[in-house]
Amino acid sequence: MIQVNDLYFSYTTKPFIEAMNFTVEKGEIFGFLGPSGAGKSTLQKILLGMLPGYRGSAIVNGTECRHRTNRFYENIGVDFEFSTMYEKLSARENLQFFSSLYEKSGRPIEELLEMVGLQNDADKRVADFSKGMKSRLNFIKALLHDPALLFLDEPTSGLDPANNRMMKDLILEEKKREKTILLTTHNMQDATELCDRVAFIANGKIYALDSPHNLIMSKGATRVTYTWMDHGEHTASCPIDRLSGDEVLQKLIAQNRLKSIHSSEPTLNDIFMEITGRTLL
Amino acid sequence: MRLRHLFLWDMRFQAKYGFYLLYGLLTVLYIVILFALPQAWRGSAAALLIFSDPAAMGLFFMGAIVLLEKSQRVPCAFAAAPLHAMEYVISKTASLCLISLIVAAILALAAGLPHLPQVLLGTALSGILFTLLGMILATKITSLNQFILFTVPVEIACFVPAVLHLFQLLPTELRNYPANVCMDMIAGRSFTAAGILLLGAVIILLFYLAEKCVSKMWESAGGVKL
Ligand SMILES: Nc1ncnc2c1ncn2[C@@H]1O[C@H](COP(=O)(O)OP(=O)(O)OP(=O)(O)O)[C@@H](O)[C@H]1O
Ligand SMILES: [Mg+2]
Repeated sequence: MIQVNDLYFSYTTKPFIEAMNFTVEKGEIFGFLGPSGAGKSTLQKILLGMLPGYRGSAIVNGTECRHRTNRFYENIGVDFEFSTMYEKLSARENLQFFSSLYEKSGRPIEELLEMVGLQNDADKRVADFSKGMKSRLNFIKALLHDPALLFLDEPTSGLDPANNRMMKDLILEEKKREKTILLTTHNMQDATELCDRVAFIANGKIYALDSPHNLIMSKGATRVTYTWMDHGEHTASCPIDRLSGDEVLQKLIAQNRLKSIHSSEPTLNDIFMEITGRTLL
Repeated sequence: MRLRHLFLWDMRFQAKYGFYLLYGLLTVLYIVILFALPQAWRGSAAALLIFSDPAAMGLFFMGAIVLLEKSQRVPCAFAAAPLHAMEYVISKTASLCLISLIVAAILALAAGLPHLPQVLLGTALSGILFTLLGMILATKITSLNQFILFTVPVEIACFVPAVLHLFQLLPTELRNYPANVCMDMIAGRSFTAAGILLLGAVIILLFYLAEKCVSKMWESAGGVKL
């Protein structure tokens, strides 16, 4: 679906995106994970054919992005970081308008509205929508023409837990419909939950690219941390696969003296930090 | 097909944003002015009012529409849609010209201007001229205040000569100046082939520039202050 080879790009004369290589398969959810200013949106814009001044190759849906024609967009749906609707028009009017820009007849508007629970607000002006409602509306706007490829820029950022959950379920629902989905985020928990593979991006470079599970496993196994009282509190920890060799722990268990014990696996955030030397936020 | 949809939606937006209401009120006001004037002045006054409608309103409203879209980040959505910049330019221009044409027809009939087809053609051409200028300006700027500032030189370059020309205060050598050709047509006066050719060439150039500017605006789409 997407092949990127030796991609270079900069807004200025200073190098920014450098030597990027990756491919995205059909039906995959692929995440760009990185801190603010890493170049995630820039990369999306290149793949959308909006920044033709790159070097190297970026092929989307069989088209080299810099040579895209307008038909290129018939099969791509984009959900930007911000709302891109006419605020004075109702949700339904906006959807009708944007749907009229495509040749494909696409998906029924009522069905989409219902899918995100906006069927009763469809005639309200977008200006009167809450943030969560707007983000759901902008999401289905990207689905109007039933594109095979979806670009979602920060789909879950700034949403309350309920809306965040809903948005993630909607994205997973689209994956079931065999859509290819590219999303950017700086929320590693969302990335872990949604993405088949993630690319760690910082300073315009890809530092690692793998499934969230492999990335987490690649760096140190899960550790067990435990505390006990012995003239004050003591803490020790041990990798989960060497517990049988930890004599202190054995003894504490035998004497029932453990105050607490818990295991913790490294999060994608820890791994990101370790690999790129930068935090995500 | 898409162009037709766009055009119908543009009309809907304009109705929604109260343009039709505003133009309706303006037309009533124009007619009141016309009939308050002595009979002898009515022809020139009607020509002036008809011309000033696209010249002042078309230019300004086109700017307002584009700025409004910018402030709501709609250009981003256009940039990622299969819509051609030229379709956008044509649809917006045509929808605003249509309003000007309706206003012009009403005023021309009310004032009893002769040569109605010529008056309407002149109105359409001035409408295209001014709305394209408004669009080009609006793609370049980021706030309403800035827009108002930048329309001043455009009005001075286009509106002022045409008005002077209407009252024959300019040397006849300037009759082929595009805005003056429009004014002659609206006033039902004769005009030269050279004048029409020059006007046509300017309009084609403006369409070309407007398309370039709109494409560029979509690519670098961002927010503006209103
Ligand atoms: N149109 C532009 N012209 C010049 N520089 C730009 C432009 N757009 C973005 N940049 C710069 O490029 C860098 C990367 O921006 P980008 O929007 O790709 O970051 P991001 O990873 O999406 O960050 P965020 O998580 O905040 O959205 C930033 O330093 C930004 O200032
Ligand atoms: Mg971004």
